[in-house]
Amino acid sequence: MTKRPTSFTLGGRTYSPAASLLLATPFILVMILAFLLPLFTLLHESLSVPKFNLDNYARVFDQEVYLRVMLRTLRISALVTIAALLLGYPLAWLIARSRGLLLGLLLIAVLLPLWTSVLVRTYAWLVLLQRNGVVNQILTALGLVDAPVQFLYTEGAVVLAMSHVLLPFMVLPLYAALRGIPDDYMRAAQVLGAGGFAAFRHVVLPLTLPGVASGCLMVFLLALGFFVTPALVGGPQQMMLATLVQQQVTELLDWPFSGAIIGVLLAFVLCLVLIFNRLIRLDRFVGQV
Amino acid sequence: MRMTRRSLIAAAGAVAAFPALRSARADPGEVIVATTGGLMTNSLQTHFYKRFEAETGIRIRAVAIEIPDQWARAIAGERTGNVPFDVVTATPPDLIQQADILETLDCANMPGIVAHALPNSCGPKGLIRTVGGMVLTWSKKAFPNGGPQSWADFFDTAKFPGPRSLPDTGDREWWVPLAALIADGVPRDKLFPMDLDRAYKKLDAIKPQVAVWWKSGDNSMQVLRGGDAVMSMLYSSRAVPLTKSGDFDFTWNGSIRDTGNWAVLKGSPNMQNALKFLDFFVQNPTEHLPFSTEVSFDSNNKEASAQAPPEERRYRPSYPENYEKLIIADYAWIASERAKMRERWVSWLTR
Repeated sequence: MTKRPTSFTLGGRTYSPAASLLLATPFILVMILAFLLPLFTLLHESLSVPKFNLDNYARVFDQEVYLRVMLRTLRISALVTIAALLLGYPLAWLIARSRGLLLGLLLIAVLLPLWTSVLVRTYAWLVLLQRNGVVNQILTALGLVDAPVQFLYTEGAVVLAMSHVLLPFMVLPLYAALRGIPDDYMRAAQVLGAGGFAAFRHVVLPLTLPGVASGCLMVFLLALGFFVTPALVGGPQQMMLATLVQQQVTELLDWPFSGAIIGVLLAFVLCLVLIFNRLIRLDRFVGQV
Repeated sequence: MRMTRRSLIAAAGAVAAFPALRSARADPGEVIVATTGGLMTNSLQTHFYKRFEAETGIRIRAVAIEIPDQWARAIAGERTGNVPFDVVTATPPDLIQQADILETLDCANMPGIVAHALPNSCGPKGLIRTVGGMVLTWSKKAFPNGGPQSWADFFDTAKFPGPRSLPDTGDREWWVPLAALIADGVPRDKLFPMDLDRAYKKLDAIKPQVAVWWKSGDNSMQVLRGGDAVMSMLYSSRAVPLTKSGDFDFTWNGSIRDTGNWAVLKGSPNMQNALKFLDFFVQNPTEHLPFSTEVSFDSNNKEASAQAPPEERRYRPSYPENYEKLIIADYAWIASERAKMRERWVSWLTR
């Protein structure tokens, strides 16, 4: 499992492992200063303020509201991941089969949202889903509903908007995995008598599993810490962990307790990644994406 | 020779002292004032800061900041001995909760305050800046034959059907339960100490009807304008412009008084200038009149409200007919129960 920095070749010359480390130094420095240092300060405070003990952590599990928000965050993130996979797989398939102009257009359609602010995309959902919004106007005009439907501030709206915002993170690894499969494989499977679905099930799907895994992991982890979309599209009954932490910090000024909430989430995510790594050997296919 | 040398030193001392003296007279320094941004800061700038600077020569450094953030910095500054502001903005419970880091005001010896401030508006820790209330506001389109007139009507979904909106920001952890108690028939002199179990039982009944929990003043107006709710609890400063627009109306009945206060931080860098600013603020009714119309709050000057045109009086909480309807909370009780009330609120709301 342990990996050593390896030598690499560039422009006909071979460089030592020390050179690879040297090249990574600026990145490592930024990570230490801007990420690890504040994180450890916060975690340290969660253990030592007001006294050096686990009181802040006990409170996370003591009050049912915090556990409830944590479980809800996990549930919404899981639903978003499933929705993004179901929406993203066919799309990635379509992109992988396309050539020329269509390919370019489809790729832009996936990438353009990535270059648009999350806030703008979330406001678009507000415009669509509000009481007098586009969707309600269409439904009322078609006579499908009598009174406007309450879409906003529901869990459905949160899952829908988050799936849309996070979709590119699912599609891109899937597309990379699908494009890596030569067309001949499908043909070979069919020559050997497999139907379309059997060929997909036994040839394509296993080959894209690494892409599925990394797409799911990326979407799930991003969803766990998502802030803007659930805060705007959801109401208090859909409050997720990031909003809870924000409230503890900016309204109650309770940094140590926020640190404890973050500590619990971090521990959970680390466990998840470790289990995942064990099951699917994450390090093997990260390189393919 | 001795004499000469001594006088020389004295002369040198006088010369050295002189520039300091001169600069002290020429540069009366500054005062750092923290308030919420936007309309409030801009209107204060137009009507008070500029004049204060012109009359006293003291520069005002206005810092736009949300109140919780302001306290976080003030408390941190108090710990490190580097106090960041002179004048801060405080809600009434803040004045009690943060009393330790606030300077005690000697109201009786501040001539401007004695002559011009509203009665009882200067406490030991703060001076009332603006007065408003949390008011019941409704859409006239939704209720053409007369809207709700009390918190009891707000909770009566049979008589007044339609989605509701309530605040989830500011001091909602006591505003909303207090409105529930009033609606449940608790007489106004029996509201404190609050019976929170009774309040939340009443709130449980209305919760499914609350379509939106608003997060900011702008948001609260948008919710009503967009039709996402037909009635709401609003800052009166937001209800007034909505009502003036024609489609909405509000009542002072059962309104929960909400005041903004000036306070001075202990050990602040420009203490004397800060006190001068507070004493200056309550003077000049001619500035208070346009200021309070702009921000839709009453402001602290006892001559101004009498000069308000009759059509403006309906919008002003300090006008006697309106003021007697306001509910004034027991801030000491709230300050002592606040942390628990916040936790209960979050726990109830996120369920």
